[in-house]
This record gives sequence, structure tokens and C-alpha cells, in this order.
Amino acid sequence: MSLNKLKIGIVCPYGWDTPGGVQNHVRDLAEYLINAGHDVSVLAPALGESELPDYVVNAGKPISIPYNGAVARVLFGPIAFARVRQWIGGGDFDILHLHEPAIPSLSLLACWAAEGPMVGTFHAAAKHQKVIFAIGPILEPAIEKLNARIAVSEAARLTLTNHLDTDAVVIPNGIYAAHYANGVRNDKWTGNTIGFIGRFEEPRKGLQVLIDALPIIARFAPDIRVLVAGPGDPKEFEKSIDPELRHRFEFLGRISEDEKADFMSSIAIYVAPNTGGESFGIILAEALAAGTCVVASDIPAFDELLGGGAFGALFSSQDSTDLAKVVIDLLDDNDKRGQLALAGKTHAQIFDWDVVAKQIFSIYEMAMVGGEGVTLASENRSWNRFLSRDENKS
Amino acid sequence: MRTLFLVTLTSLIFLWYLSFLATRLDRLHHRVETSWANLDGLLQRRAAIALEIARSDFADPASSLLLTSAAYHAREASVQERSATESALSGALALFLVDGQLHANSAEQSLLDELGALTAKIRIAIAIHTDSVSSTQKVRQKIAIRLFRLSGTAPLPVTYEFEFDAL
Repeated sequence: MSLNKLKIGIVCPYGWDTPGGVQNHVRDLAEYLINAGHDVSVLAPALGESELPDYVVNAGKPISIPYNGAVARVLFGPIAFARVRQWIGGGDFDILHLHEPAIPSLSLLACWAAEGPMVGTFHAAAKHQKVIFAIGPILEPAIEKLNARIAVSEAARLTLTNHLDTDAVVIPNGIYAAHYANGVRNDKWTGNTIGFIGRFEEPRKGLQVLIDALPIIARFAPDIRVLVAGPGDPKEFEKSIDPELRHRFEFLGRISEDEKADFMSSIAIYVAPNTGGESFGIILAEALAAGTCVVASDIPAFDELLGGGAFGALFSSQDSTDLAKVVIDLLDDNDKRGQLALAGKTHAQIFDWDVVAKQIFSIYEMAMVGGEGVTLASENRSWNRFLSRDENKS
Repeated sequence: MRTLFLVTLTSLIFLWYLSFLATRLDRLHHRVETSWANLDGLLQRRAAIALEIARSDFADPASSLLLTSAAYHAREASVQERSATESALSGALALFLVDGQLHANSAEQSLLDELGALTAKIRIAIAIHTDSVSSTQKVRQKIAIRLFRLSGTAPLPVTYEFEFDAL
């Protein structure tokens, strides 16, 4: 990385203290850049109930809006806009990095308010965003100010080119590969075990597909166990499971980051039966890094991450019979499982922060070639002057 | 009275819109300049590395001659000839790399690694430049901008034709 120290401003659109992929990505990136010696400030909405790291600036309480099949906690409005202008005006940034600037959020406000080197990262991949992207013509004057655009996957890039008619460089999300590679095998999770991590109550995570596949799998592998980790109430699911198979399922509840690495290293197969709504699949990258054999549905993001089946097995999405077939095949064949896991572990190095952050930083450098830093956009400068004149009078 | 008010209001809004469009276009032109400066800088560095490779021990006299002339042409080309000469340099480097990779020692290997990293950057820089040029061209198509000559004397930016495969 470059020797000179930069002042980097990152805008996170979603509530900092609610769990989510974008927030994790922003946190890891910010911490990586700080460790590399840069001065980083993150502007994010936050509930403010827990303490924030000192590089995060709280922009106010987020509000909940339905977005892309889930509830997004974002923030916008005149007060938020004033905060954003203040943050940019006083930040003296060399570069701004805006996450998900195409949805009504802090990032879009920052894109409106600022002028100068700006990079945007697009995380979402979805087919049905007509409502959000119908406002494309309004977004365009803001989005076109970005010097460079990053998409987290080919699927996210396609979403962007289809809806906003602009191209992007694909840079994947980052993981700390070594953390997962150093997971310790834990006997309570080893054996003929299938692992699943996630908020299993959400239908798009696809736990039901796995439950439906189990009767077939259990016929061929009587000692099979399914370990489900993640927050949620398992009661509803337990009702739908065949009583004879109910003891095959274990719901572990939420597990910590360290336990996650151990969990991934111990299980025989990690299954990701997601039915859609994923743009990257960070959990798969983590499982690969841990050296686990992965089986995933063939939705575009997973297909891409697993190299079309080279680094993990794919089954046709929502087809529990196909899932059962693939799993049985892999449980039978230790060699094949080992080969897939090894190929996956090698491949997972491209998601390591050492690689990903370098790629992101080289985009920063390209955006900063002009030499000047980030300022408030001219129309906002005069507006601010007008406002401060008012304050002086009163 | 009311008509006068409405006419004034409409023309004020229209004037604001024109100024908004002009600022927007100005920013786009600025973005094109930045992305071109970035691409240009990277291409200059590539030509410098090509010269260094040509001068190193593992380049045979024939390919050395070829590389040197291609690199000089690329450096001194006018804007119109630029993409053609850069493509020629890509071709010369590609010819050379096919057998050059086989017998490179460590010092030369680091040159080749640098070239590889630079090539990846150039690919991204071209994509960024193409994107900024095409969005500028799109905005300049707008009737209001053409009618009121909001683009002034700024030349219409053109995308950089580059042979991707040869890179």
C-alpha cells in the first residue's frame, strides 16, 4: 500500500448496531485501513444503545423501511442531510467511500452533498427492484459523480448495469481467511454432520429445503446430524420435521466468531440452501477458508463464488431431492469431499482482506489522481453560507 | 399580474435547471479528465517498464529492438494515435512474454510481476474511463444542453479503443 497517510471517509447506510453483511464489511475495511496507518472516519446511523468504536460518527437513529425482501434500517431527511454536510465540510477528506449509494440513505445524501474523489460500492443483487430503481433518473445526477464504482459480485454488477446503466469493477467482500483456517476441530460437531449458519427463520435462507431433504439423506446415512446455528426460535421448524428425524436436528442458537471458525472446521459438509436475495455469500467464503466442503444452491451469487462447482458442490435451488443426492454422494466419497474442500480453501485466499483491501485501495488511488480533496458541492456551499448568515443575524 | 408572476417563476426555475445541468456537465467533464489522467499515467509507467525489460539481459536483440520501438512510439504518440500505438505495445509485450517467462531470473521476474500488476490496474482504469466517457456522452445528448450550448467549447470525450485480449 501507498506510504502516504490518507484521510478516508466511509459512509455506511445501515444501522451500525444492527447485524448485517454491509455493516460487517464496512467495519472490517475501516479497521484494516486504520491498521495500515490511515485516518478513517465512518458515518453511520446508530441506535446508540451500545458504545460505538471511536472511528464511527453517529448520524442519528435509523428508521425501518422494507427493502429487498427484508427490513432495512436506514436514515435520511433534512436533519440527516445537515449532519452529512457538517461531516463532509469538517472532515477534510482525501476520499469518500460510499456504500450502497443507490438506495435512499446516508450514502445517497453524501453523494449529493460532496464533490471530489468518490468511490461507491454496490452490494445488492436483485431482480425485482422496480420501485427503487424507477427513480433512476433522479439518482443519476448523484450516482454519476462517483469516480469509480465497485460491485461485490458479478450478480451485483449486473443489477447495477441493468438498472442504472453504468458499469462497475468487481471486488469481492473480504474475510480474515487465517482466522477460519485456524479453527479447532471440536468433537461434539464432528462425524457425519451437516452445518447451517444464519437467521433460519427467514424463508430465503432456505432451511426448509434442507429439512425436506433429510428423510432421503437419513435413509442412506443413518447417523447423519444437522447442526443449525444462528439466532431465532426453532419451535416452528421442529413442528414441521418428521418426529422420527427430530433428534437429528440440533439448534445451537447464536454462536460467536471464534466458535464459528471451530464449527466450520469440524462439520463434514456446510450446506447453504438459500433461495435468493444473496449478492455475495460471505458465509460460503468463510466456510471455504476453514477448509470445509460446501454444498450450495445454484443461485447466481453462489454459482459465481464457487466457480460454477469447482470449489464446492451446487444443487438446483429449492430442489430438496437434488440437494439430498449431492449430499449423499459427498458423504459416501471421502476423497471427493477432501478434494473439493482443498480446492475451496486455496480459492478462498482471494477473499482475504490482505488481497481485497489492496484492490479497494488501488481504486482509491485511481479516483484521487486529480489531486484535490473532498469538498462540499458548490450548490451546497452557497446553501451553507446562506444558513450560517442567518445564524449570525439571530 | 398573476401571469407575470407565473412567467417569472417558470423562467427562474428554468434558469436554475440550466445552471444545474451546466454544473452536472462540468463535473462529468472533470471526471473524464481524472480518469484519463489516471489511465495515461498507468500507460506511461507501462512503457517505462517495457523499456526496462528491453534493456535487461534476458531480452534477445530482436525482441529488444521491437519492444524499444513500440515503447517509444507509445510514449510519443498524439492522442489520436494513442490507442493504436498502445495496442502495438501490448502486442510486442505479449510476443515477448510467451517465451520470456520461461527463463527469467529473480530480478527480471520482479519486473514481470510489476508488469502483471500494472496490466490489471490498466484494465480497471480503462473500464473506469469508458464509463465516465459514456455517461458524459449521454448527458451531452440532452436537448437542453445542445440547444443552450452548455458544454461550451469542451470537446466531446471519446472512449479509448483498446484491444483487451492483447493487454
